[in-house]
Amino acid sequence: MILIVTTASGGTLPKSARELVSVARELASGAQVAAAVVGPEAAAAEMANYVPQVYALTSDALQPLRAEALTAAVQQVAAAAGANTVIMAANRLGQSVAPRVAVRLNAALLEDVIQVSGTAGAYEAVRYSYLSRVTETVRTVGGDATVITVKPNVFAVAEPQPGGAVTAHAPQLDASASRVSVGQRSAASGGRVKLEEASVVVAGGRGLGSADAFTALVEPMADVLNAGVASTRAVVDAGWRPYAEQVGQTGKSVAPELYIALGISGAVQHLSGMNRSKVIVAVNKDADAPIFRIVDYGIVGDVAQVAPALTAALKEAKGS
Amino acid sequence: MKLITVLKQVPDAEARIRAGAAGVDLDGVTFVIDGMDEYGVEEAIRLREAGNEVEIVALALGPARYEEAIRTALALGADRAVHIETDVDLDPISQARVLAQVVQQEGADMVLVGGKQADWDSAALGPALAEVLGWPHSDWTTKLELAAGSVTVEHDTDDGHESLSMPLPAVITTQQGLNEPRYPTLPNIMKAKRKELAKRALDEFGAGAGLTQITSQQIQTRERLGKVIEGDAASAAAELVRLLQSEAKVL
Amino acid sequence: MIQFELSDDQKQIQALARSFVRDNVIPVAAQHDREETYPATVVEAAHAVGLLNVSVPESVGGLGLSMLDEALIGEEFGYGCMGIYTILMASELGIMPLLLAATQEQQERFLGPLVEGPRLAAFALSEPNNGSDAGGLRTRAVFDGDEIVISGTKTWISNGGLADFNVVFASFEPALKHKGTVAVVVEKDRPGLSTNKLHGKLGQRASPTYEMFFDDVRVPVSNMLGEKGDGFKIAMRTLDKTRIPVAAGAVGVLRRALDESRKYANEREAFGRTIAQFQAIQFKLANMKIALETARLQTWYAAWLADTGRPHAEAAAIAKAYASDSAFDAAQEAINVFGGYGYMNEYPVEKLMRDVKLNQIFEGTNEIQRVVIARHVLQ
Repeated sequence: MILIVTTASGGTLPKSARELVSVARELASGAQVAAAVVGPEAAAAEMANYVPQVYALTSDALQPLRAEALTAAVQQVAAAAGANTVIMAANRLGQSVAPRVAVRLNAALLEDVIQVSGTAGAYEAVRYSYLSRVTETVRTVGGDATVITVKPNVFAVAEPQPGGAVTAHAPQLDASASRVSVGQRSAASGGRVKLEEASVVVAGGRGLGSADAFTALVEPMADVLNAGVASTRAVVDAGWRPYAEQVGQTGKSVAPELYIALGISGAVQHLSGMNRSKVIVAVNKDADAPIFRIVDYGIVGDVAQVAPALTAALKEAKGS
Repeated sequence: MKLITVLKQVPDAEARIRAGAAGVDLDGVTFVIDGMDEYGVEEAIRLREAGNEVEIVALALGPARYEEAIRTALALGADRAVHIETDVDLDPISQARVLAQVVQQEGADMVLVGGKQADWDSAALGPALAEVLGWPHSDWTTKLELAAGSVTVEHDTDDGHESLSMPLPAVITTQQGLNEPRYPTLPNIMKAKRKELAKRALDEFGAGAGLTQITSQQIQTRERLGKVIEGDAASAAAELVRLLQSEAKVL
Repeated sequence: MIQFELSDDQKQIQALARSFVRDNVIPVAAQHDREETYPATVVEAAHAVGLLNVSVPESVGGLGLSMLDEALIGEEFGYGCMGIYTILMASELGIMPLLLAATQEQQERFLGPLVEGPRLAAFALSEPNNGSDAGGLRTRAVFDGDEIVISGTKTWISNGGLADFNVVFASFEPALKHKGTVAVVVEKDRPGLSTNKLHGKLGQRASPTYEMFFDDVRVPVSNMLGEKGDGFKIAMRTLDKTRIPVAAGAVGVLRRALDESRKYANEREAFGRTIAQFQAIQFKLANMKIALETARLQTWYAAWLADTGRPHAEAAAIAKAYASDSAFDAAQEAINVFGGYGYMNEYPVEKLMRDVKLNQIFEGTNEIQRVVIARHVLQ
């Protein structure tokens, strides 16, 4: 049995959940697939359109969601479902919960995979390492189970297969599950498409010159393209933009259809977070900037002039 | 209180990585203390400088070459170090089970560990360590404040960031934004050689062969078009849009 | 047995110097070169991490680093900016006579303060009409009771007007030639001492170079290093050692020339391929590499001889002459690799050539080095 674990914080299933369904179906080859959905009933019902067995984790004890509580809940659902494989999205939550679940289940962990095959006990996965400069194949050689985190935006989104059953599951949580108290929360960029889910990303670097210039040059282009906004570490360090927008080794990893880098020189730590984008465009005044080594299209020029011109041209193209 | 900072030694981010039939070839590569771990060392030092009575122990599991990274941590301000010296490439989950034993033997109050390793691109060690120890954990931590018996942090989440407070002992995974690590000064480098560096063997901890195994590694390459578009801003922009539409077909 | 491995400490020193140079020197090098300004913040930062005045002995609060340690630091700084390195190097040069000939009391008095702040020392030997001929000094030292009265002019003195003290070489009895010389520590604030910063250098323009005027400058006899008559010997023994950092800085320049050339050759395209694919370019890179490896080995060898108390004058002369000559050649070839761009100061290689030209000249011209080497050959 393969157990998908997903959250539905906004009330609806994230895109990654349907990617996980694709992975699970591929691996299942006849075996059963189940899903644990943390969030409202409706999200669990939505998941029942994709997998035959859904565990709805609607408990208030899971809100706000803490890694320890989710770990305990996943362990219990996995036991109830008889799962030997647990798969989650390799987002921040998944990256923190999956190792904990692996420890609890005495499982092998395959992190951030872009391909996975085989059967329980002998999975083989492909993933990136060395700041995404190396592609490696890893196989499980031990453990009682396997926990897999799946890199977002790599697998296809699954088609519905309606008719699944929803079972409510109330996790039994001890005190340790709530010893971390959650204070203030703040969400990133309101209204804009989530960076991890965006099919187009417009990113800005230190070369833009200032926080105001970032806003003036990046945001209008992102608006035209309905794109996510990303930043480099230097920009975040300078306090121009929030961490949530940071792409790279210490930030998010994205692989959109189109990545437009404005005023980004291309430090390897940044490239590791975006070098799998399908098409990469860069605008930078320094023709020697490392970013130009990985672009499909580059414009060498003053970003303050090129970016508005590009925004205007994109607007025209979108309008026509 | 006792702080443990877990260290990895990784290839310098600027180093050119090669891969052969046997996987990644690190021969001749410059190694450095993993930048993500350095934030933890720096934070521990700052907690001491803020007036807290702390002992800082650097802990590392890896081959002999790790000693350089450990010496760097000692030069930065760690009081002593424990090095579990091994050439075995244990997966992070198995590593956590080994490291947790040292943490327990030391009776530490807090473990600081980098959020993502620059060699394996793994974010598992911190949370796995917390789970083995049965401790609370803060991931992707950008701010840390100590109170009596507890710690308050700010950390990044998928949607933004939030503040957490948790009782000690706890595991904190560190990242950029937490602080700006300093250089080790030359005088401290010289003093560091007189600090204790205890060597332990992996056999002492009953580690098995690990749960995963890397079977092949290749340098990731992706063919890029590498087209540079000439012209003034307006004409270059127009040409780019045309190419994105007709050639790349991404608009 | 021969051991080519650096110790862990040395690797750390090297790593520290490398990151320091990357973060603090390289970003400002071009600007100080262009504007001919003193990089005060770099010197302050170097002091803060302990990279300034590293040879000051532990007994007076310093680190007492070895010549090999200094060579490691020198290569890293030379890679970033030879001009900025000369500031640090010239300060070590000012310290060396005290390591060789000062009493403990003198070391405490003069070297102790150098570790407390971003302070410099300097070495004042050259004169307007007298460079490498240290026996023919025109600066006079007159003994007057318990004071020495110094008069004359020194020139090409790196750090001279900024340093806390200069070690000044002067003649008390010209008829005695070499044996009539003394080495005297002259503090910055002694009445009668004035300095003039020289402008218009071809390279190493971040390093401040001075003319110094001694107008009956009085210092106590207790500022004299060694005995009356030791001046020339102290100067020569100093230079026998400090030519090693000059070589190390040149090794750094050489490494930079190779790095920049390699990067450019891999990017620049001509006739449908990168120029790195042409043998004409490959040979240049290979020659730079040959020079780099041999220059570094000779520099380290000379440092090892000095550190282990073995005769090192000849090895240091070979290192200095070979490293600086081949670094100049490499910088010059790097300009050829860059073509027209290499001639522009927007690219880093023309500065390498201008800077390292001075390594062929100071602390004994390379002609003088060959005199030294020939003397050993013929002995």
